[in-house]
Amino acid sequence: MKIFVTGIGAITAIGGNVVENLNSLRSLRTGLHKSSEYNLITGEVSLTNDQLSECFHLHDQNYSRTTLLSLPAAREAWGNNVRDSRIRTGLISSTSVGGMDRTEKYYFHDRRTNSPSHYHLMVHDNGTTTELLAEELGITGYISTISTACSSGANSIMQAARLVEAGRLDRVIAGGSEPLALFDTKGFASLNIYDPGFCKPFDENRKGLNLGEGAAFLVLENEKSLSATGNQPICVLSGWNNASDAFHQTASSPDGRGAYLAMIHALEKAGLSATEIDYVNAHGTGTVNNDLSESMALQKVFGKVPPFSSTKGFTGHTLAAAGAIEAVYCVLSISNQSILPNINFETSMHETGLQPEKEFRPASIQHVLSNSFGFGGNCTSLVFSKS
Amino acid sequence: MFIKAASTISYQRTFRNPGFSATLKPLTTQSELLAPDYSGFIAAMDRRRMTDIQKMSITCAMDCLDQSGIKQPDAIIVGTSMGCSVNIKTFLDKILEAGEGPLSPTSFIVSTHNTVAGQIALLLKNHGYNMTYTQNTLSFEQALIDAMISCDDSMKNVLVGGADEEENAIYNMHGRLGDKRAQLTSGASFFLVSNQKEPGAVRIVDVGSFGWVEDNGHTVNQFLQANNTTIDEVDLTLFAIDGKQNELPNLLPGKLIDYQQFAGTYYTSSAFAMHYAFDILLTQLHSNHGDHVKTILVYNNLLPENLGLILLTSKTD
Repeated sequence: MKIFVTGIGAITAIGGNVVENLNSLRSLRTGLHKSSEYNLITGEVSLTNDQLSECFHLHDQNYSRTTLLSLPAAREAWGNNVRDSRIRTGLISSTSVGGMDRTEKYYFHDRRTNSPSHYHLMVHDNGTTTELLAEELGITGYISTISTACSSGANSIMQAARLVEAGRLDRVIAGGSEPLALFDTKGFASLNIYDPGFCKPFDENRKGLNLGEGAAFLVLENEKSLSATGNQPICVLSGWNNASDAFHQTASSPDGRGAYLAMIHALEKAGLSATEIDYVNAHGTGTVNNDLSESMALQKVFGKVPPFSSTKGFTGHTLAAAGAIEAVYCVLSISNQSILPNINFETSMHETGLQPEKEFRPASIQHVLSNSFGFGGNCTSLVFSKS
Repeated sequence: MFIKAASTISYQRTFRNPGFSATLKPLTTQSELLAPDYSGFIAAMDRRRMTDIQKMSITCAMDCLDQSGIKQPDAIIVGTSMGCSVNIKTFLDKILEAGEGPLSPTSFIVSTHNTVAGQIALLLKNHGYNMTYTQNTLSFEQALIDAMISCDDSMKNVLVGGADEEENAIYNMHGRLGDKRAQLTSGASFFLVSNQKEPGAVRIVDVGSFGWVEDNGHTVNQFLQANNTTIDEVDLTLFAIDGKQNELPNLLPGKLIDYQQFAGTYYTSSAFAMHYAFDILLTQLHSNHGDHVKTILVYNNLLPENLGLILLTSKTD
């Protein structure tokens, strides 16, 4: 059974929609800058909560930024799709912190007033942030939120494909959303894994990651849904797999066992040999540990590693949204027949000698692979193919 | 899909106590979590830093593996709404305390919702499929749907569970469950499920997860119809309803039991209800008298906009 991608939408530090993201990738323009709020280099979405609320005519002010960021991306992907009783439609989102920005308002401010209200806590849980998005899109039925840390976005897209393949759904809008929250900026600071400058994925002298925020969604459909919606396929999601590294709560294993398993089984699911992959969008956070572990796994899977890059130098690491944003970039790689660049790279790491792509360049692209790895050893790979 | 083993830690004597369904008593304000001795399941060094959700979940998971004799499941799937809410709250406190000073990452690294599923994999050195669902009251149903897909997708043994822990600052006052009919509690239930049929096995016929549900009665009818089950065939419905609903829904099939009075209120309490149903069906299978309950529906309407349905039967197909 083929799983068709018929819509994409994204909002990140490098653009408020897909075209803006593509143009920034094409012109090597990063979205990272020094944030005055967090005193860190981050990839912030320029729109404020008030501006996002206004765009969608929201009257209630208690939407978490997770929901607010998901709205433009999901709307863009959803496009002219409408409810249709002939096909079963689902929404799968993903987030790691859910409504944490609202919870922080309660925890750091409201709670200290004379009569604390629990108003801001109403949207704390992950599921609620997705239900509010479903309400905006008019989707009922299977509404789900995946939360597996930094692989969440990829898992949400994989889950969409599995539910369609299992015959439970015909059309799914799937993706993820993550705002910058004090909880995460402080959390990653406590792990000492920030690069004080711009992150340099796969570089010998990389020092760590930069956090980012954003959201992305894809519309996935089966044949039956296509004939009802009349949507045109952009490409197909041909392979997917999730595996556990089972090495450490936060660190990746030295040989990238989980990453290796996810990649080879995703290729197997797609019915492809490793040599058929034309481009890999790596997880590539820029941390010493991830990039080495992922490089080892790439070499083990491919031998001669195909053109690859990490786009986190543009967007920052957007945690639960990263897999979804990078899935959109993989779709762009196919639809534009181009390889995406890895900015800030200078020197290959001595352990592998691998060199990521530094320029946005045209190439014949049939199949691309996207990696996403998270805390808890959660590893997911997706394969997108030209339809 | 069949249930090979089940394990629950709750406010009732559910842990390693087959037949518990006959002894359940409504909770009182004095009721508390009946945690077993965790030392037989988790090493002291690991246990020291764990909160309730981790200890309950890992213990139930290990118990399921012990009972079924399975060493390595092919998938580990968890549903939890609030995840490691105690660790989240601890880290928020640390942020307040530290100001601009350095912070310890201890509670942060175990604050993600997939901590439970990840730690089970880590303890087992399990490299299989690992997933976590966080759709508030439907988190467990969605984990169970994934388990069904996984079993159909050639995975032989799947470990699936639902768990939530109570945390005053975030959970207890969390508005959406603030005024429920029963007190706020905690619990974990895990199951070893498989497509391999064994004699006297209880079968999960199907699971449904419905968000922004418009017509509950219609949804139940459609769900039963899709599974070739008539209303008359359902002997018992275990239900949980929203606190603002005063009347029992009159559409529910069979005899009705409110499981919230036994489990209390937590987001993944439908996992408790599934173990409750499993225990009733197993007890009836092994008894020569009684009501001959063979088919049970778990009706989870804990939040008015969300409906979870789980259909279980001891009938052979």
